Amino acid sequence: MMDEATMERFFGYEQAFAHPFTRGAVIAIAAALLAAPFIFKVFRATVGVSDNTYQELWARWRSWIWICLGLIIPILLGSAWVIAGVFILSLCCFREFARATGIFREKLIGLAAVLGLCLISFAVIDNYPRLFFATPILGICLIAMITIPQDRPSGFIQRVGLGIMGYLFFGFSLGYLALFTADPLYRPLLLLLLVTVELNDIFAYCSGRLFGGRKMVPNISPGKTVAGAVGALILTTILTLVLGHWVIFPGTPMDSWRNLIILGVGISGFGQFGDLLLSAIKRDLGVKDLGDVLPGHGGLLDRFDSLIIITPMYYHFLSLILGTLGQHQPERIITGGLP
Amino acid sequence: MNGWEFQPARDRDLHGIERHRSLKREHGLGESITRLIWWAGLRVIFRVWNRLRVTGRENLPASPPFILIANHTSHLDAPLLASLLPAKWRDQISPVAASDTFFENRPTAAFAAWFLNALAIRRRGTGAHDLEQMRDRLNDDNAVFIIFPEGTRSRTGKLQSFKSGIGRMVAESKVPVVPCRLEGCFRAWPADGSFVKPTRLSIKIGKPVTFENCPDTRAGWNTVAGRLHDCLENLAD
Repeated sequence: MMDEATMERFFGYEQAFAHPFTRGAVIAIAAALLAAPFIFKVFRATVGVSDNTYQELWARWRSWIWICLGLIIPILLGSAWVIAGVFILSLCCFREFARATGIFREKLIGLAAVLGLCLISFAVIDNYPRLFFATPILGICLIAMITIPQDRPSGFIQRVGLGIMGYLFFGFSLGYLALFTADPLYRPLLLLLLVTVELNDIFAYCSGRLFGGRKMVPNISPGKTVAGAVGALILTTILTLVLGHWVIFPGTPMDSWRNLIILGVGISGFGQFGDLLLSAIKRDLGVKDLGDVLPGHGGLLDRFDSLIIITPMYYHFLSLILGTLGQHQPERIITGGLP
Repeated sequence: MNGWEFQPARDRDLHGIERHRSLKREHGLGESITRLIWWAGLRVIFRVWNRLRVTGRENLPASPPFILIANHTSHLDAPLLASLLPAKWRDQISPVAASDTFFENRPTAAFAAWFLNALAIRRRGTGAHDLEQMRDRLNDDNAVFIIFPEGTRSRTGKLQSFKSGIGRMVAESKVPVVPCRLEGCFRAWPADGSFVKPTRLSIKIGKPVTFENCPDTRAGWNTVAGRLHDCLENLAD
């Protein structure tokens, strides 16, 4: 059923470090994680950090190690692992959202969303992009239909609405991460997104701390300042320009000032919007974090919120400029064999 | 336009064994599916291996909440009662289990919470607060509680005296209590037994009893315990 190219794409870990950016990013991340404890110690000795902040830093550092391992190992091993990892990530994110909003009590809505997630993963495994882009409406219809036989109109709009929202943001939107793996060169593309988005968060935090000033949307997120947003926008765009021009896209249509600036501004801007989206959800619910699996960060969603909006945008922008990702790979490897 | 009402999970701030033990525990899709399969599987096993015979099924109330009480001689008792209930209620069933047996270490607690949906109760020093919380849960969640008022497995197979805690849960309430007489469990798997023998098991379900007129006082609780004890005695032929 599966030809050699697909097997290679799914399980070909021999190619893991073929691209220079994959090598560079993995080494840089490992170096940063190793250097962090020394920086903490130096920081403590010179500036004097309170014990609480210090503990918090260590907790965050430990969580970062797990996050990096969880993200990088599947990406290096092959696309099958990425697809499995994204499925689990979507499932956990949907669960956090469901428990925070109370939609988890509607077991049938949950079931419909999980079936939708399975369909998304299937479309990616099958390398059947048209099915993937049809999963939003198919999932929405299933979520809307599934509680009708219960004959219980009270709360219908709310349960269907919440189900659809969770499914679209944490199933479909995050599912794009798996869709990248249709391209044999998905490793640098995914790593570029993850590295820039996470650094974008850090840039925003640092420049916000340095310059302070006017609050951006104090009701949604009291900590975020305009200076932080602008700082992140500038730094992330520069980073994207440098990486894009010299490492990832040289010799491709992406390698132009216009495209790389749009990409950089997009990653930074939409990354911050994703962050604020989750903040708004949390404010409305009146909860601080959406979970507690990552000490120092909160739930998975508190860490991956920035990816929710940018991931589809990034995919479609790259497809627009470079042509559909994975277009020369065998398509419909499972359904193609159907009579 | 009115705002939506969000009700986050009651146990969001708890984790690990704390969460398993908590009476505020709420479950999701994963647990529901597990239990559907688990109880259906046990039902088949009891039918085939133990030739289970149920009489008086018509005495079960039309819908939850209600409480099943039974004589307690074996770890089989709670699964047996849970598996005889209709599949549509399986998600609402909670055996009330001793916290020192089922919620001491993490694997057992996780099993009790995930598969059995058991609720932890302390054998000693159960506060009025715990029972109050349980009573609320019974009504709010439309639950079916399985309670063994003897408080422990009988080491002789004979019915022992009842604790008054059951009274605290149902005095002055409309929730019906259904007495069930289990036969054969003691021979099949006694407290010191190591595996389940293929002994015939039978369940006799009695008429539901309510205690709306029983005062919610110590004397009332004792009356409830006494009356239920008599019900179970009378069910034995």
